[in-house]
Amino acid sequence: MGINIKIKSFNALEGLPRFVYVLAVIAALGMSAGLYRLYAGLADTTNLSTVFPWGLWISFDLTNVAFSGAAFTLSMLVYIFHMHDLHAAVRPTVLFGLLGYSSVLVILFFDLGRWDRFWHFLVYPNLSSALFEVSWCIAIYSAILTFEFSPVILDKFKNEKISKIVQKMTIGMVIAGITLSSMHQSSLGSLFVIQIHRLHPLWYSLAQPEFFLVSSMAAGISTIIIGSYVSIWMFKQTLSEKIIEKLGSFVPWIFGLYLLMKIGDLILGNKLGLLFTSGMLSVLYIAELLLTLAAIIWFSVKKLRATRKNALNGALIIAAGIVLNRFDVTWFAMKSIDGATYFPSFIEIALLVGVTSGLIVVFSLAAHFFPVFSETLPVKDLPQSELVALKLVSIFCGRLMI
Amino acid sequence: MAKYGFLIDASRCIDCRACLVACSVENNVPMKSTRIWIKDSGVTGEFPNLERHTAPFHCMHCIDPSCVSACTVGALQKNEDGIITYDNEACIGCRYCMYACPFEVPHFEWDQQFALITKCDLCVSRLGDGEAEPACAATCPTDAIQFGKREDMLAMAHNRIKDESSRYVDHVFGEHENGGTSTFYISPVPFEQLGFPSTETMESPAHFNRIATEEGTPIIAVGAAIGMTGIYLAIEHNQKKNGTDKIEHVETKHDSAGKE
Repeated sequence: MGINIKIKSFNALEGLPRFVYVLAVIAALGMSAGLYRLYAGLADTTNLSTVFPWGLWISFDLTNVAFSGAAFTLSMLVYIFHMHDLHAAVRPTVLFGLLGYSSVLVILFFDLGRWDRFWHFLVYPNLSSALFEVSWCIAIYSAILTFEFSPVILDKFKNEKISKIVQKMTIGMVIAGITLSSMHQSSLGSLFVIQIHRLHPLWYSLAQPEFFLVSSMAAGISTIIIGSYVSIWMFKQTLSEKIIEKLGSFVPWIFGLYLLMKIGDLILGNKLGLLFTSGMLSVLYIAELLLTLAAIIWFSVKKLRATRKNALNGALIIAAGIVLNRFDVTWFAMKSIDGATYFPSFIEIALLVGVTSGLIVVFSLAAHFFPVFSETLPVKDLPQSELVALKLVSIFCGRLMI
Repeated sequence: MAKYGFLIDASRCIDCRACLVACSVENNVPMKSTRIWIKDSGVTGEFPNLERHTAPFHCMHCIDPSCVSACTVGALQKNEDGIITYDNEACIGCRYCMYACPFEVPHFEWDQQFALITKCDLCVSRLGDGEAEPACAATCPTDAIQFGKREDMLAMAHNRIKDESSRYVDHVFGEHENGGTSTFYISPVPFEQLGFPSTETMESPAHFNRIATEEGTPIIAVGAAIGMTGIYLAIEHNQKKNGTDKIEHVETKHDSAGKE
């Protein structure tokens, strides 16, 4: 059977949403907070300490990498599993992945004590270090994402010759990208394998790398579904419900495997008792399990994943589970020493907000000047019933919406 | 080559902090960032039978050090004398070692603009200059810190406990902790009371780390690469066999002027 990929002609996006300018100001302020941190050192600007040498920035980085897993998950479905009907989502997703990883690198830069030596991992290898491997994988993978995004730029300049070469290399690059993603998504979990004395036993597991890898795929799907909704009011573009439904249908399998692994880990690690005796941490762990279960059930029901709005709610459940998990592992479930606690400082939060705003601004600019949304569904083509519902929301958000 | 080792005897420590001063002078660092510090039990017991115990504490120089296994840029290394050295020219200040070390040894220069890790390197350059002992051991007025060959220190620790069993708890801290270290402690009170970190595993976390990074990651990488290639080729083959038209990626048509 032949698969037709019908590509609509690129709809030039109308003027940038006005709040992008506001975000640009916030991004500038956030970056100045970062520059001040470089100038003043970490002691005066952050609440990091000997007991908690990593804080909000690392928690955010790990969460962000999980959601940026959207790019490798989608390219796997589209190019490896030949699900070309999902192709419309590729460009915005790859762009999000690229910017997601870039923002991780920016924040890591500000986190380093010797930020002037950020390139040292290139020349000082330590093959048993998970962080060394993560650094390399993310660096190479960012290059691959740039490659995967290049057709968008080449389209704009209509360079047929280079476009042909790029197209020929695509499959190889996609396979390399998936391999590198599997490596660094799992290696971010390996970071915690060495912390047996710090991480609470409920979370500590030799299978932590596999937990992060598998869950990043579900995180990636939630990114695409949430993104398709956000792009409605930012770019007046979205994905067809057919695509959303199909993406959602993978969630029960991915999260099903994840939940089985997690429960298997509790049983094999003899940790079931800890589920009820660890106070607040028990609550957090059970919340993670319940969110995972809820997402499995949600996306198993066709009715709940088939409409844009229902799928959004399901995707938010996934996202909540992922955020909670990454923050648990990096922060909440870290054993304290001498009762010390950690809560991020204003500058830590400001840099984060700034970088995130910057990400949205760059995304908007890219979508404004390049055919990122060339295959997506313009909002004006949505059925009338849906438009009405969207318009209702737009009343609350003024100009932002349709 | 013989490995170096320490024996630190908490029953001999008088909390004079000469070792901190020696460390500060030897390494040319301010007193607040010495690589040795005092673990303190606080005052315990009922008046008039009050007790307080202290012990100097520094890098354990593990046999299988987790910090070396973790360090992103290999700034931490174990040399042939069993010393865990630190290369401040390579370190990027990522602080992964601080999480990797079960003994909370690596510290960080939080207040510096260009901040690095600080950690005892057993005065490796001083020993290289022909001195017999690291500064702390050379300075200690009560011989609470003794330095020598690792096996000699371990034997001495056991001998002291055997000879004066009433004076010490029967535990040489560092003999098995974290898979064995080069710094041994003996103490009149349980080590938890002195505020020593309790290492629950007798295997170095470096061991688990290597399972993940040196075995797990290559398996995942090879699995992903072969798996993805295989699935791609299989589906491609199937589609050809079934006479499916080759999927063509339709070139995106759009007006190149973009928005304008």
